[in-house]
Amino acid sequence: MMNIFKNMRIRLGLFLAVMGPGVVTAFADNDAGGIATYATAGAKYGYGLLFTLLISTICLAIAQEISARTGAVTGRGLSDLIRELFGVKWTFLAMTVLLIANIGTTASEFSGIATSFEIFGVSKFIAVPVMGLVVWWSVLKGNYSRIEKVFFVLCATFLSYIVSGVIINPPWEEVLLASVTPTFARDADFLMIAIGLIGTTITPWGQFYIQAAVVDKGITAKDYKYTFWDVMLGAFFTWFIAFFVIVATATTLHANAISIETVKDAAIALRPLAGVYASTLFSFGLLGASMLAAFILPLSTAYAVCEAFGFESGVSKSSKEAPVFFGVYTMTIVLGAGIALWPGISLDLIMLLSQVVNGVLLPPILIFMVLIASNESIMGKYKNPKWYNVISWIFTIVLIILTLMLLISTIAPEVMDSLMKLIGL
Amino acid sequence: MNQFKVLGEFYFSQLLGTSIYDKSGHNIGKIRDMAVRWDGAYPQIVGIKHIRKSQVLITIDQIASCSYKEVRLKENFEIEKAVTLHENDIYMSKWLLDKQIIDLKGSKMVRVNDITLSWVMQENMQRMILVAVDIGVKGLFRRLGLEFLFKNHKNELLSWQYIKQLESWNSNLQISYEKQQVSELHPADIADLLEEMDYKQRANFIDSLDDQQASDALVEMDLDSQVEIIEQMDEQRASDLLEEMAPDEAADILVELPAGKSAELLNLMEVDDAEEVRELMQHEEGTAGALMTTEFIAFSAELMTEEVINQLRELAPEAETIYYLYVVDQAEHLQGVLSLRELIVASPKTTLHELMHTKLRTVYVTDDHQRVAEIINKYGLLAVPVVDKQGIILGIITVDDIIDILIPDRGKLDTYSWFALSKWGGRGRS
Repeated sequence: MMNIFKNMRIRLGLFLAVMGPGVVTAFADNDAGGIATYATAGAKYGYGLLFTLLISTICLAIAQEISARTGAVTGRGLSDLIRELFGVKWTFLAMTVLLIANIGTTASEFSGIATSFEIFGVSKFIAVPVMGLVVWWSVLKGNYSRIEKVFFVLCATFLSYIVSGVIINPPWEEVLLASVTPTFARDADFLMIAIGLIGTTITPWGQFYIQAAVVDKGITAKDYKYTFWDVMLGAFFTWFIAFFVIVATATTLHANAISIETVKDAAIALRPLAGVYASTLFSFGLLGASMLAAFILPLSTAYAVCEAFGFESGVSKSSKEAPVFFGVYTMTIVLGAGIALWPGISLDLIMLLSQVVNGVLLPPILIFMVLIASNESIMGKYKNPKWYNVISWIFTIVLIILTLMLLISTIAPEVMDSLMKLIGL
Repeated sequence: MNQFKVLGEFYFSQLLGTSIYDKSGHNIGKIRDMAVRWDGAYPQIVGIKHIRKSQVLITIDQIASCSYKEVRLKENFEIEKAVTLHENDIYMSKWLLDKQIIDLKGSKMVRVNDITLSWVMQENMQRMILVAVDIGVKGLFRRLGLEFLFKNHKNELLSWQYIKQLESWNSNLQISYEKQQVSELHPADIADLLEEMDYKQRANFIDSLDDQQASDALVEMDLDSQVEIIEQMDEQRASDLLEEMAPDEAADILVELPAGKSAELLNLMEVDDAEEVRELMQHEEGTAGALMTTEFIAFSAELMTEEVINQLRELAPEAETIYYLYVVDQAEHLQGVLSLRELIVASPKTTLHELMHTKLRTVYVTDDHQRVAEIINKYGLLAVPVVDKQGIILGIITVDDIIDILIPDRGKLDTYSWFALSKWGGRGRS
C-alpha cells in the first residue's frame, strides 16, 4: 500500500516539479490587465508589437531568473534585502512604488472581475463588492487553497486563444517576420501600449512574488538548477499566450479594421473556435485570471511591506497581533475595488492604465534587483555575470527613456516632435 | 572613587553623517559608522569611522563635545592617535542597523530600526555604551525624518540582554548569557522562531542549540518544515536529532524524505533506534500503525506493585506516557491495563493480575485515524493501545498525537506563496 502511495507521490511530484514558482507567476501574469493590453495591442497595431513582446519576454526571463536566483542563494525576500542593504529611506521608496503599482493592478483585477460579470449581465456594483468580500474573507479564514484551484483551472481557458489562433490560420510568414522586426512610433498612444506591454509582462509584484515563493519553498542554491528551467518555462508560457492573443486579435480585428471598443471585444477573436460561446469562454478565462491575481496581490503586498519594516505578519495571526499586515491587506483590496467601482470610470481604461503604471514604476525595482544580484558579498559565486548586468542596465535605461518619451508626448507633443528632429528620427 | 556621569544620550541613526571638527576647527570627516566591541557587560564603541574606505577610527576619549549638529575633538587630529579595527569589532551601521535579530523577551524576530547610545564618564574615562535597540514604529519614522508623526508614541526599546544576533559575525561574540537565555525559551517558541528564519539563519541557530533543545523544537514544527530542516542539515547532526525524537515522530519525517536520504540517515542512527523507526515506517500514512509510538510501558501480570513501581522509575524517562500501564503475557499478548493511580494506591504486595482491567479498548494497526479519534473521544482516554490480529500489543497512540492530526496547523498557510499549488513544486524532488 505504501508503495502505491509513494508512486503516486512521485508521479504527482513529476507534474508539480514542472509547475514551480516560475510557471505559476507566468499564469498570474496574464491577468485581466495583461489580456486587455495584448488584445488592444493586436487590435490597434496588428502584428506591429510582436517584436516588443519578444524583447520584453527575454527581459522577463532575465528579471525572473535574477529574482529566483537571489531568493535561492540568500533565502531572503526582496524587500528584506533592500532594507538590509539600502536602509530605511530607500526601502520606503521601494515600498511606495510597490504599493502604488499593486493597488493599480488590484484595481485592474477587480475591473476584470466586473467585466466578466457584465458579459453575463451582472452589474459591477454587485459583482465587485461580493467578489472583494469573497477574496478578503477566504484568505482570512484560510480556506483559500481549495478555491484557488478552481480559478487556476478557469485560467486555462486562455489557452483557447492558442487554438483559436491556429484555426484562424494567420499569414504565418508575416507574423514571424513581424516578431523579429522592430516597429516604433513616437505618438503617445503607441508609447503607452508599448510600456503597458512591458509593464504587464514584467511586473514589480512578480519580482517580489517569485523571490518570496522560492524562499518559502526552501529552494537553496543546490536545487537551483530545477528552478532555472521552471523560470524559463514560465517566461515561455507568458510569451506563448500573449503571442497568440495578439495574433488572434490582430488577424480578426485589426485586419478587418474593427476597432476594439472594450476589452469584451477581445472575445471576438475566439469566435473561430467557440462560435457563439466565444464571449462565455472569454469571460470565464477573465474571471479566473482576475480572481487568481486578486487573491495574491493584496496578500503579497502586505507580506512585502511587513517584511521590509519588521512588522508582524501572517494570516494565522490575529488582527491585533499584526495590525499593519491586516491593514495593508485590507486597504489594498478596498482601494482596488473602490477604483473599479468609481461611478462613470472606464473599466478598460483601468486595466490598460494600471499596466502602464506598472511599466513606469518598474525601473526602480529593477535597479535594486540588479544591484543586489551583483553584490559579491551577498551572492558569492552566484552573482550576476557581466553580460547579464549589461543587458539589465540597457533594458532599464530603455524603459526609463520610453517613460520619459510617454510623459513628454502626453504633456507636450510638439516638444516631442522637435526632440525627435534633433536626434534625426 | 567610582564616578559615573552621563554626558549625553543619542540615537545612532541621527549621529550618522554628523561632521567632525578638530580643535582648530578643521573638518576632518563625517561619522560614517561606529565600531563596537562586545566583551564586557555592555557593548561599547571603540571608535568612529570617519573616512570612506578607511579602517582608521577616532577613539571616544578624543571627543570634546558631541551633538547631532557636530562633533568636536579635544585636539588636532593626528593619525597616530587613531586606532584601527580589531578583529572582534563590528560596524554598527553595516552589521546591526536594519538587520533582523531575535527578541528573546517576546521570542520573535524583529528588525533593528535604531540604536540608542549613552555617552558616559566613568572613572575619568569617557565611554560610549550601546544601551538598547529600537524596534518600534517611532524608530522607523525617525529614520525617515518623520518622527513628529509619532510624538505621543513610546519608543519600543529592547535592551541588550534580550537580544540574540542571527548571524555569527564572529565566534568571539557569543556571549555567555545568550545560550542560557535561549534555553529558557519554550520549545514551541523556538519552533516559531525557526519557522520565520531563512535557511542560513536556521542553520546558525540550530547549531547553537544542543541536541535535546533542537529536537524538542523540531517536534513542535509542522511536518513540511521538519522535513525541510532535516534535509538541509548536516547528516550526522540530523541523525542525532532523529535519535532524540520519539520514534513515531522520526518515522513521520523519514517517510517524507527521498528514499536514498532516509536510508542514509537511518544508517547513521544507532541500530536500536533505527530498527524501531524502520518498523514504524512500514505502516501506511493515516493508519493507527503510522500514528503510534512504540515507547509504552508493559509488565507481566505476575509482578507485584512494589516491583512495578521500582521498575517504573527506570522506564519512565523513555516512555511517552506512564499514566497507563499495560499488562502482557510472555508473547506480548495484551491482557489488561491499569492506571498509575491504581498502581500507587494499591498495597505493595498486590499482583497486577488482581488490579488490572480486562475490558480493554484497543484499535487495530490498520484502523484509520478517524476510528482512533472516536475511541479516544468516546471513552475519554489519554492513550489507546494498538494491537495486531493476534492481540499482540505493537504500540500506543496518545491523545496529543491524534490532536495533531485533527487540528491542522494553520501555520502552514503562513506564507505568501501558498498560491503555488504544492510545497514541493519546482524542487525537482522526484
